[in-house]
Amino acid sequence: MRVSLRNARNVALVAILLGIPLLLLRGSVQDRYQMGAFDRAVWRIGAPLEAGVSYSARWVASFFARWVFQAGALEDRERLEQENRVFKRRLREVVRLEEENRELRRSLQMREQVPEDLLSAEVVGVEQSPFFRAVKIQIDRGTAYVRPEMAVLSADGVVGRIEKTHGDRSNVLLITDPASHIAVEIARTKAPGILQGAGEDRCEVKISSESVAREGDLVQTSGVDDLFPTGHPVGRVTRVTNRIEEGGEVQVVEVVPSVRFDHLRMVWVVLATAPEPDPPSGIARKPGSARGLQPLN
Amino acid sequence: MFRALVYVGVGWVLAAAVPALGSVFRLTVMLPSTSAVVLNHVAFSGPRVGVASGLVVATAIGYLEDLHQGAPAGTLTLAHAIAFLVLHWVSIRIALPRFPARLAAAAITVVVLDLLTWAVLSVLADAYGFRHASLNASLETVGWHALATMLVAYPVWMVVDACQGVLRPRRGLSDLRGERGP
Repeated sequence: MRVSLRNARNVALVAILLGIPLLLLRGSVQDRYQMGAFDRAVWRIGAPLEAGVSYSARWVASFFARWVFQAGALEDRERLEQENRVFKRRLREVVRLEEENRELRRSLQMREQVPEDLLSAEVVGVEQSPFFRAVKIQIDRGTAYVRPEMAVLSADGVVGRIEKTHGDRSNVLLITDPASHIAVEIARTKAPGILQGAGEDRCEVKISSESVAREGDLVQTSGVDDLFPTGHPVGRVTRVTNRIEEGGEVQVVEVVPSVRFDHLRMVWVVLATAPEPDPPSGIARKPGSARGLQPLN
Repeated sequence: MFRALVYVGVGWVLAAAVPALGSVFRLTVMLPSTSAVVLNHVAFSGPRVGVASGLVVATAIGYLEDLHQGAPAGTLTLAHAIAFLVLHWVSIRIALPRFPARLAAAAITVVVLDLLTWAVLSVLADAYGFRHASLNASLETVGWHALATMLVAYPVWMVVDACQGVLRPRRGLSDLRGERGP
Protein backbone atom coordinates (compact mmCIF):
# COMPACT_ATOMS: atom_id res chain seq x y z
CA MET A 1 0.00 0.00 0.00
CA ARG A 2 1.50 3.25 -1.16
CA VAL A 3 1.16 6.33 0.94
CA SER A 4 1.47 9.52 -1.07
CA LEU A 5 3.18 12.62 0.27
CA ARG A 6 -0.07 14.50 0.11
CA ASN A 7 -1.86 11.91 2.22
CA ALA A 8 0.92 11.92 4.76
CA ARG A 9 0.73 15.70 4.93
CA ASN A 10 -3.02 15.59 5.44
CA VAL A 11 -2.70 13.04 8.19
CA ALA A 12 -0.11 15.18 9.90
CA LEU A 13 -2.27 18.27 9.58
CA VAL A 14 -5.30 16.43 10.96
CA ALA A 15 -3.26 15.18 13.88
CA ILE A 16 -1.97 18.66 14.59
CA LEU A 17 -5.42 20.22 14.26
CA LEU A 18 -6.93 17.58 16.53
CA GLY A 19 -4.23 18.44 18.99
CA ILE A 20 -5.55 21.99 19.32
CA PRO A 21 -8.81 21.06 21.02
CA LEU A 22 -6.98 18.57 23.16
CA LEU A 23 -4.66 21.31 24.31
CA LEU A 24 -7.62 23.54 24.98
CA LEU A 25 -9.25 20.76 26.97
CA ARG A 26 -6.10 20.26 28.96
CA GLY A 27 -5.99 23.94 29.80
CA SER A 28 -9.63 24.04 30.77
CA VAL A 29 -9.28 20.97 32.96
CA GLN A 30 -6.54 22.73 34.90
CA ASP A 31 -8.57 25.92 35.30
CA ARG A 32 -12.07 26.04 33.86
CA TYR A 33 -12.57 29.76 34.36
CA GLN A 34 -9.29 31.07 33.07
CA MET A 35 -9.37 32.83 29.71
CA GLY A 36 -6.19 33.16 27.77
CA ALA A 37 -5.08 36.19 25.82
CA PHE A 38 -6.37 34.65 22.60
CA ASP A 39 -9.78 33.99 24.15
CA ARG A 40 -9.98 37.58 25.35
CA ALA A 41 -8.98 38.88 21.93
CA VAL A 42 -11.70 36.80 20.29
CA TRP A 43 -14.17 38.09 22.86
CA ARG A 44 -13.17 41.67 22.10
CA ILE A 45 -13.66 41.12 18.40
CA GLY A 46 -16.87 39.20 18.90
CA ALA A 47 -18.50 41.55 21.40
CA PRO A 48 -19.38 44.26 18.84
CA LEU A 49 -20.58 41.54 16.50
CA GLU A 50 -22.89 40.13 19.15
CA ALA A 51 -24.01 43.60 20.15
CA GLY A 52 -24.77 44.41 16.53
CA VAL A 53 -26.73 41.19 16.07
CA SER A 54 -28.61 41.77 19.32
CA TYR A 55 -29.38 45.36 18.35
CA SER A 56 -30.58 44.27 14.90
CA ALA A 57 -32.67 41.47 16.38
CA ARG A 58 -34.11 43.85 18.95
CA TRP A 59 -34.93 46.33 16.20
CA VAL A 60 -36.62 43.61 14.16
CA ALA A 61 -38.44 42.44 17.28
CA SER A 62 -39.59 45.95 18.09
CA PHE A 63 -40.73 46.40 14.51
CA PHE A 64 -42.77 43.23 14.68
CA ALA A 65 -43.96 44.12 18.15
CA ARG A 66 -45.10 47.48 16.84
CA TRP A 67 -46.73 45.79 13.89
CA VAL A 68 -48.47 43.30 16.14
CA PHE A 69 -49.42 46.15 18.47
CA GLN A 70 -50.86 48.10 15.56
CA ALA A 71 -52.79 45.06 14.40
CA GLY A 72 -54.08 44.64 17.95
CA ALA A 73 -54.88 48.34 18.13
CA LEU A 74 -56.79 48.10 14.88
CA GLU A 75 -58.85 45.23 16.24
CA ASP A 76 -59.40 47.14 19.47
CA ARG A 77 -60.50 50.18 17.50
CA GLU A 78 -63.02 48.18 15.50
CA ARG A 79 -64.33 46.60 18.68
CA LEU A 80 -64.54 49.97 20.41
CA GLU A 81 -66.27 51.51 17.41
CA GLN A 82 -68.83 48.72 17.49
CA GLU A 83 -69.31 49.27 21.24
CA ASN A 84 -69.52 52.98 20.63
CA ARG A 85 -72.28 52.48 18.09
CA VAL A 86 -74.18 50.33 20.57
CA PHE A 87 -73.70 52.88 23.36
CA LYS A 88 -74.75 55.75 21.12
CA ARG A 89 -77.90 53.89 20.21
CA ARG A 90 -78.57 53.21 23.88
CA LEU A 91 -77.85 56.84 24.71
CA ARG A 92 -80.38 58.01 22.14
CA GLU A 93 -82.87 55.61 23.65
CA VAL A 94 -82.07 56.92 27.15
CA VAL A 95 -82.48 60.51 25.98
CA ARG A 96 -85.80 59.63 24.40
CA LEU A 97 -86.94 57.86 27.56
CA GLU A 98 -85.73 60.76 29.66
CA GLU A 99 -87.74 63.17 27.57
CA GLU A 100 -90.76 60.93 27.73
CA ASN A 101 -90.29 60.55 31.47
CA ARG A 102 -90.07 64.31 31.91
CA GLU A 103 -93.22 64.81 29.90
CA LEU A 104 -95.07 62.12 31.81
CA ARG A 105 -93.99 63.67 35.09
CA ARG A 106 -95.29 67.03 33.99
CA SER A 107 -98.53 65.40 32.92
CA LEU A 108 -98.85 63.70 36.28
CA GLN A 109 -98.12 66.94 38.09
CA MET A 110 -100.83 68.58 36.04
CA ARG A 111 -103.19 65.76 36.89
CA GLU A 112 -102.67 66.44 40.56
CA GLN A 113 -103.38 70.15 40.14
CA VAL A 114 -106.56 69.76 38.09
CA PRO A 115 -109.74 68.91 40.04
CA GLU A 116 -111.64 67.57 37.01
CA ASP A 117 -111.99 63.90 36.27
CA LEU A 118 -109.36 63.18 33.71
CA LEU A 119 -108.52 60.16 31.62
CA SER A 120 -105.02 59.76 30.27
CA ALA A 121 -104.56 58.98 26.61
CA GLU A 122 -101.61 58.43 24.38
CA VAL A 123 -101.22 60.22 21.09
CA VAL A 124 -101.08 57.51 18.45
CA GLY A 125 -101.28 59.57 15.28
CA VAL A 126 -100.64 63.06 14.00
CA GLU A 127 -102.09 64.44 10.78
CA GLN A 128 -99.87 67.11 9.30
CA SER A 129 -100.44 69.99 6.92
CA PRO A 130 -98.31 70.48 3.81
CA PHE A 131 -96.19 72.77 5.98
CA PHE A 132 -95.64 69.99 8.50
CA ARG A 133 -97.91 71.51 11.11
CA ALA A 134 -100.11 69.19 13.12
CA VAL A 135 -103.75 69.74 12.13
CA LYS A 136 -105.31 66.77 13.83
CA ILE A 137 -104.22 64.15 16.33
CA GLN A 138 -105.49 60.73 17.20
CA ILE A 139 -105.55 59.22 20.68
CA ASP A 140 -105.82 55.64 21.89
CA ARG A 141 -109.16 56.02 23.66
CA GLY A 142 -112.25 55.05 21.72
CA THR A 143 -115.98 54.79 22.12
CA ALA A 144 -115.75 52.82 25.32
CA TYR A 145 -114.06 55.68 27.17
CA VAL A 146 -114.74 59.05 25.58
CA ARG A 147 -117.48 60.93 23.78
CA PRO A 148 -117.36 63.73 21.21
CA GLU A 149 -116.99 67.25 22.56
CA MET A 150 -114.96 66.19 25.57
CA ALA A 151 -112.09 68.56 26.23
CA VAL A 152 -108.52 67.42 25.72
CA LEU A 153 -105.72 68.97 27.78
CA SER A 154 -102.00 68.57 28.11
CA ALA A 155 -99.46 69.73 30.64
CA ASP A 156 -98.77 72.81 28.52
CA GLY A 157 -102.36 73.81 27.98
CA VAL A 158 -105.50 73.20 25.99
CA VAL A 159 -105.20 70.81 23.07
CA GLY A 160 -108.72 70.70 21.65
CA ARG A 161 -111.72 68.47 21.94
CA ILE A 162 -112.84 65.03 20.84
CA GLU A 163 -114.27 65.25 17.37
CA LYS A 164 -115.07 61.63 16.50
CA THR A 165 -114.73 58.31 18.23
CA HIS A 166 -114.39 55.04 16.43
CA GLY A 167 -113.45 51.71 17.95
CA ASP A 168 -110.45 52.21 20.18
CA ARG A 169 -109.32 55.48 18.59
CA SER A 170 -110.55 59.05 18.71
CA ASN A 171 -109.82 62.09 16.61
CA VAL A 172 -109.08 65.32 18.40
CA LEU A 173 -110.09 68.64 16.89
CA LEU A 174 -107.22 70.99 17.70
CA ILE A 175 -107.82 74.53 18.81
CA THR A 176 -106.04 75.73 15.68
CA ASP A 177 -108.66 74.09 13.47
CA PRO A 178 -110.98 76.67 11.89
CA ALA A 179 -113.93 74.59 13.09
CA SER A 180 -112.84 74.96 16.72
CA HIS A 181 -114.47 77.54 19.03
CA ILE A 182 -113.51 77.88 22.68
CA ALA A 183 -114.58 80.35 25.32
CA VAL A 184 -111.46 82.12 26.52
CA GLU A 185 -110.38 85.26 28.32
CA ILE A 186 -107.31 87.40 28.55
CA ALA A 187 -105.79 86.37 31.87
CA ARG A 188 -104.65 89.90 32.77
CA THR A 189 -107.87 91.78 31.99
CA LYS A 190 -110.42 88.97 32.10
CA ALA A 191 -111.76 90.27 28.80
CA PRO A 192 -113.83 87.38 27.34
CA GLY A 193 -113.91 86.17 23.78
CA ILE A 194 -114.36 83.18 21.53
CA LEU A 195 -111.14 81.67 20.29
CA GLN A 196 -111.35 80.40 16.76
CA GLY A 197 -108.75 78.34 14.96
CA ALA A 198 -106.91 80.01 12.12
CA GLY A 199 -104.87 77.00 10.94
CA GLU A 200 -101.12 76.49 10.91
CA ASP A 201 -100.53 76.92 14.64
CA ARG A 202 -102.52 80.12 14.91
CA CYS A 203 -105.81 81.17 16.53
CA GLU A 204 -107.78 84.35 16.67
CA VAL A 205 -110.04 85.82 19.29
CA LYS A 206 -112.16 88.90 19.07
CA ILE A 207 -112.53 90.90 22.23
CA SER A 208 -114.10 94.18 23.07
CA SER A 209 -111.93 97.22 22.60
CA GLU A 210 -112.76 98.44 26.07
CA SER A 211 -109.97 96.43 27.68
CA VAL A 212 -106.77 96.67 25.72
CA ALA A 213 -104.91 93.45 25.00
CA ARG A 214 -101.13 93.48 24.66
CA GLU A 215 -98.65 91.25 22.98
CA GLY A 216 -97.49 88.56 25.37
CA ASP A 217 -100.73 88.42 27.32
CA LEU A 218 -101.75 84.96 28.43
CA VAL A 219 -105.01 83.65 27.00
CA GLN A 220 -106.79 81.04 29.11
CA THR A 221 -110.09 79.18 29.15
CA SER A 222 -112.96 81.01 30.78
CA GLY A 223 -115.12 77.95 31.39
CA VAL A 224 -118.34 79.57 30.24
CA ASP A 225 -118.82 77.01 27.47
CA ASP A 226 -119.04 74.15 29.98
CA LEU A 227 -116.58 72.21 27.87
CA PHE A 228 -113.21 73.32 29.14
CA PRO A 229 -112.30 73.76 32.79
CA THR A 230 -111.60 77.29 33.84
CA GLY A 231 -108.14 78.81 33.87
CA HIS A 232 -106.24 76.49 31.58
CA PRO A 233 -103.62 78.19 29.42
CA VAL A 234 -104.44 78.38 25.74
CA GLY A 235 -101.66 80.52 24.30
CA ARG A 236 -99.97 83.92 24.11
CA VAL A 237 -101.03 87.05 22.30
CA THR A 238 -98.72 87.77 19.39
CA ARG A 239 -100.55 90.58 17.60
CA VAL A 240 -103.46 92.88 18.29
CA THR A 241 -105.33 94.76 15.54
CA ASN A 242 -108.32 97.00 15.96
CA ARG A 243 -111.18 96.61 13.51
CA ILE A 244 -114.56 98.25 13.02
CA GLU A 245 -117.36 95.76 12.69
CA GLU A 246 -121.13 95.88 12.86
CA GLY A 247 -121.26 95.90 16.64
CA GLY A 248 -118.59 98.53 16.94
CA GLU A 249 -114.79 98.52 17.37
CA VAL A 250 -113.23 95.18 18.33
CA GLN A 251 -109.71 93.95 18.88
CA VAL A 252 -108.67 90.99 16.78
CA VAL A 253 -106.06 89.20 18.82
CA GLU A 254 -103.76 86.64 17.23
CA VAL A 255 -102.84 83.84 19.60
CA VAL A 256 -100.09 81.25 19.33
CA PRO A 257 -101.05 78.06 21.20
CA SER A 258 -98.92 77.14 24.19
CA VAL A 259 -99.01 73.48 23.14
CA ARG A 260 -96.68 72.09 20.48
CA PHE A 261 -99.10 69.67 18.92
CA ASP A 262 -96.43 67.81 16.96
CA HIS A 263 -94.52 67.06 20.20
CA LEU A 264 -97.45 65.67 22.13
CA ARG A 265 -97.16 62.17 23.53
CA MET A 266 -99.73 62.09 26.28
CA VAL A 267 -102.92 64.07 26.82
CA TRP A 268 -105.75 64.13 29.32
CA VAL A 269 -109.41 63.87 28.38
CA VAL A 270 -111.77 65.73 30.69
CA LEU A 271 -114.52 63.28 31.60
CA ALA A 272 -116.42 65.51 33.98
CA THR A 273 -116.10 68.99 35.34
CA ALA A 274 -115.21 69.43 38.98
CA PRO A 275 -118.04 70.00 41.44
CA GLU A 276 -118.63 73.44 42.83
CA PRO A 277 -116.82 74.02 46.10
CA ASP A 278 -119.04 73.91 49.17
CA PRO A 279 -117.03 75.29 52.05
CA PRO A 280 -119.85 75.47 54.61
CA SER A 281 -120.76 71.81 54.49
CA GLY A 282 -117.19 70.57 54.65
CA ILE A 283 -118.20 67.52 52.67
CA ALA A 284 -117.02 67.18 49.11
CA ARG A 285 -119.86 66.57 46.74
CA LYS A 286 -119.61 63.96 44.09
CA PRO A 287 -118.79 65.39 40.70
CA GLY A 288 -121.51 65.50 38.10
CA SER A 289 -122.01 62.85 35.50
CA ALA A 290 -119.54 62.68 32.71
CA ARG A 291 -120.70 62.99 29.20
CA GLY A 292 -121.41 59.38 28.44
CA LEU A 293 -119.28 57.97 31.26
CA GLN A 294 -119.36 57.81 35.00
CA PRO A 295 -116.64 59.92 36.64
CA LEU A 296 -113.57 58.13 37.81
CA ASN A 297 -113.21 57.72 41.57
CA MET B 1 -8.60 29.65 1.97
CA PHE B 2 -11.12 32.36 1.21
CA ARG B 3 -13.98 29.87 1.34
CA ALA B 4 -12.78 28.73 4.75
CA LEU B 5 -12.76 32.33 6.00
CA VAL B 6 -16.30 32.86 4.74
CA TYR B 7 -17.42 29.68 6.51
CA VAL B 8 -15.86 30.82 9.77
CA GLY B 9 -17.33 34.32 9.41
CA VAL B 10 -20.82 33.06 8.65
CA GLY B 11 -20.57 30.46 11.41
CA TRP B 12 -19.49 33.12 13.88
CA VAL B 13 -22.34 35.48 12.95
CA LEU B 14 -24.88 32.67 13.16
CA ALA B 15 -23.47 31.43 16.47
CA ALA B 16 -23.86 34.97 17.85
CA ALA B 17 -27.23 35.59 16.22
CA VAL B 18 -29.14 32.53 17.43
CA PRO B 19 -28.76 33.15 21.20
CA ALA B 20 -29.27 36.87 20.60
CA LEU B 21 -32.54 36.20 18.76
CA GLY B 22 -33.54 33.71 21.43
CA SER B 23 -32.93 36.33 24.09
CA VAL B 24 -34.69 39.14 22.24
CA PHE B 25 -37.75 37.07 21.37
CA ARG B 26 -37.68 35.38 24.78
CA LEU B 27 -37.71 31.93 23.20
CA THR B 28 -38.01 29.08 25.64
CA VAL B 29 -37.77 26.32 23.05
CA MET B 30 -34.60 24.44 22.13
CA LEU B 31 -32.41 26.62 19.91
CA PRO B 32 -30.93 25.13 16.75
CA SER B 33 -27.27 24.40 16.12
CA THR B 34 -26.39 26.44 13.06
CA SER B 35 -22.78 25.29 13.17
CA ALA B 36 -23.97 21.75 12.39
CA VAL B 37 -25.52 23.01 9.16
CA VAL B 38 -22.36 24.95 8.32
CA LEU B 39 -20.29 21.80 8.88
CA ASN B 40 -22.62 19.94 6.53
CA HIS B 41 -22.15 22.62 3.95
CA VAL B 42 -18.39 22.47 4.33
CA ALA B 43 -18.37 18.71 3.91
CA PHE B 44 -21.00 18.19 1.23
CA SER B 45 -21.16 21.25 -1.00
CA GLY B 46 -18.88 21.35 -4.01
CA PRO B 47 -16.29 22.46 -4.91
CA ARG B 48 -14.88 20.36 -2.18
CA VAL B 49 -12.85 21.81 0.62
CA GLY B 50 -9.76 19.90 1.56
CA VAL B 51 -9.82 17.88 4.77
CA ALA B 52 -7.26 20.13 6.39
CA SER B 53 -9.08 23.35 5.47
CA GLY B 54 -12.38 21.82 6.54
CA LEU B 55 -10.90 20.73 9.84
CA VAL B 56 -9.58 24.23 10.42
CA VAL B 57 -13.09 25.60 9.80
CA ALA B 58 -14.65 22.99 12.10
CA THR B 59 -12.11 23.68 14.83
CA ALA B 60 -12.60 27.44 14.56
CA ILE B 61 -16.39 27.17 14.63
CA GLY B 62 -16.22 24.73 17.54
CA TYR B 63 -13.94 27.12 19.42
CA LEU B 64 -16.36 30.01 18.83
CA GLU B 65 -19.26 27.83 19.99
CA ASP B 66 -17.28 27.04 23.13
CA LEU B 67 -16.91 30.74 23.81
CA HIS B 68 -20.54 31.60 23.07
CA GLN B 69 -22.08 28.70 24.97
CA GLY B 70 -19.71 28.95 27.91
CA ALA B 71 -18.66 25.34 27.58
CA PRO B 72 -15.27 24.26 28.94
CA ALA B 73 -12.73 25.33 26.34
CA GLY B 74 -12.04 22.55 23.83
CA THR B 75 -15.21 20.54 24.41
CA LEU B 76 -17.20 21.70 21.43
CA THR B 77 -13.99 22.32 19.51
CA LEU B 78 -13.08 18.66 19.72
CA ALA B 79 -16.68 17.57 19.02
CA HIS B 80 -16.85 19.73 15.91
CA ALA B 81 -13.46 18.54 14.68
CA ILE B 82 -14.37 14.88 15.04
CA ALA B 83 -17.83 15.45 13.60
CA PHE B 84 -16.28 17.09 10.55
CA LEU B 85 -13.93 14.17 10.05
CA VAL B 86 -16.93 11.85 10.13
CA LEU B 87 -18.84 14.05 7.70
CA HIS B 88 -15.84 14.25 5.41
CA TRP B 89 -15.50 10.48 5.42
CA VAL B 90 -19.23 10.14 4.62
CA SER B 91 -19.11 12.82 1.92
CA ILE B 92 -16.60 10.74 -0.05
CA ARG B 93 -19.18 7.97 -0.24
CA ILE B 94 -22.55 9.73 -0.55
CA ALA B 95 -23.85 13.06 -1.78
CA LEU B 96 -26.70 15.26 -0.57
CA PRO B 97 -28.23 16.47 -3.80
CA ARG B 98 -31.63 17.51 -2.46
CA PHE B 99 -32.83 19.46 0.52
CA PRO B 100 -34.66 16.67 2.34
CA ALA B 101 -31.37 14.78 2.47
CA ARG B 102 -29.56 17.90 3.71
CA LEU B 103 -32.18 18.44 6.42
CA ALA B 104 -31.84 14.86 7.54
CA ALA B 105 -28.04 15.17 7.45
CA ALA B 106 -28.22 18.32 9.60
CA ALA B 107 -30.34 16.48 12.16
CA ILE B 108 -27.98 13.51 12.20
CA THR B 109 -24.98 15.84 12.49
CA VAL B 110 -26.50 17.49 15.54
CA VAL B 111 -27.10 14.11 17.12
CA VAL B 112 -23.47 13.17 16.43
CA LEU B 113 -22.23 16.52 17.81
CA ASP B 114 -24.33 16.18 20.94
CA LEU B 115 -23.19 12.60 21.50
CA LEU B 116 -19.54 13.62 21.01
CA THR B 117 -19.95 16.53 23.42
CA TRP B 118 -21.64 14.27 25.92
CA ALA B 119 -18.80 11.73 25.53
CA VAL B 120 -16.09 14.38 26.03
CA LEU B 121 -17.85 15.84 29.05
CA SER B 122 -18.52 12.41 30.50
CA VAL B 123 -14.84 11.51 30.24
CA LEU B 124 -13.85 14.77 31.91
CA ALA B 125 -16.85 14.99 34.25
CA ASP B 126 -14.84 14.18 37.35
CA ALA B 127 -12.18 16.70 36.43
CA TYR B 128 -14.78 19.41 35.85
CA GLY B 129 -16.91 18.38 38.80
CA PHE B 130 -20.01 17.59 36.70
CA ARG B 131 -22.61 15.06 37.82
CA HIS B 132 -22.99 12.16 35.41
CA ALA B 133 -26.75 12.11 36.04
CA SER B 134 -27.06 15.68 34.80
CA LEU B 135 -25.08 14.87 31.68
CA ASN B 136 -27.23 11.80 31.01
CA ALA B 137 -30.39 13.83 31.51
CA SER B 138 -29.23 16.31 28.87
CA LEU B 139 -29.32 13.52 26.30
CA GLU B 140 -33.12 13.52 26.49
CA THR B 141 -33.22 16.83 24.65
CA VAL B 142 -31.11 15.67 21.72
CA GLY B 143 -34.24 14.92 19.69
CA TRP B 144 -35.56 18.46 20.15
CA HIS B 145 -32.13 19.85 19.29
CA ALA B 146 -32.13 17.82 16.08
CA LEU B 147 -35.66 18.92 15.22
CA ALA B 148 -34.86 22.61 15.82
CA THR B 149 -31.74 22.32 13.66
CA MET B 150 -33.62 20.54 10.92
CA LEU B 151 -36.19 23.36 10.85
CA VAL B 152 -33.54 26.03 10.31
CA ALA B 153 -31.28 23.92 8.07
CA TYR B 154 -32.83 25.15 4.83
CA PRO B 155 -32.49 28.91 5.49
CA VAL B 156 -29.02 28.50 7.03
CA TRP B 157 -27.85 26.46 4.04
CA MET B 158 -29.22 29.17 1.72
CA VAL B 159 -27.48 31.89 3.72
CA VAL B 160 -24.17 30.05 3.53
CA ASP B 161 -24.69 29.44 -0.19
CA ALA B 162 -25.49 33.11 -0.75
CA CYS B 163 -22.46 34.28 1.23
CA GLN B 164 -20.19 31.94 -0.67
CA GLY B 165 -21.64 33.21 -3.95
CA VAL B 166 -21.51 36.91 -3.11
CA LEU B 167 -18.15 36.95 -1.35
CA ARG B 168 -16.38 34.72 -3.87
CA PRO B 169 -13.40 36.57 -5.38
CA ARG B 170 -13.82 37.12 -9.11
CA ARG B 171 -11.24 35.72 -11.39
CA GLY B 172 -9.39 38.08 -13.64
CA LEU B 173 -8.95 37.61 -17.38
CA SER B 174 -5.37 36.60 -16.90
CA ASP B 175 -6.47 33.76 -14.59
CA LEU B 176 -8.84 32.49 -17.23
CA ARG B 177 -6.07 32.65 -19.84
CA GLY B 178 -3.83 30.71 -17.52
CA GLU B 179 -6.45 27.94 -17.22
CA ARG B 180 -6.58 27.56 -20.98
CA GLY B 181 -4.67 24.65 -22.35
CA PRO B 182 -1.65 25.01 -24.62
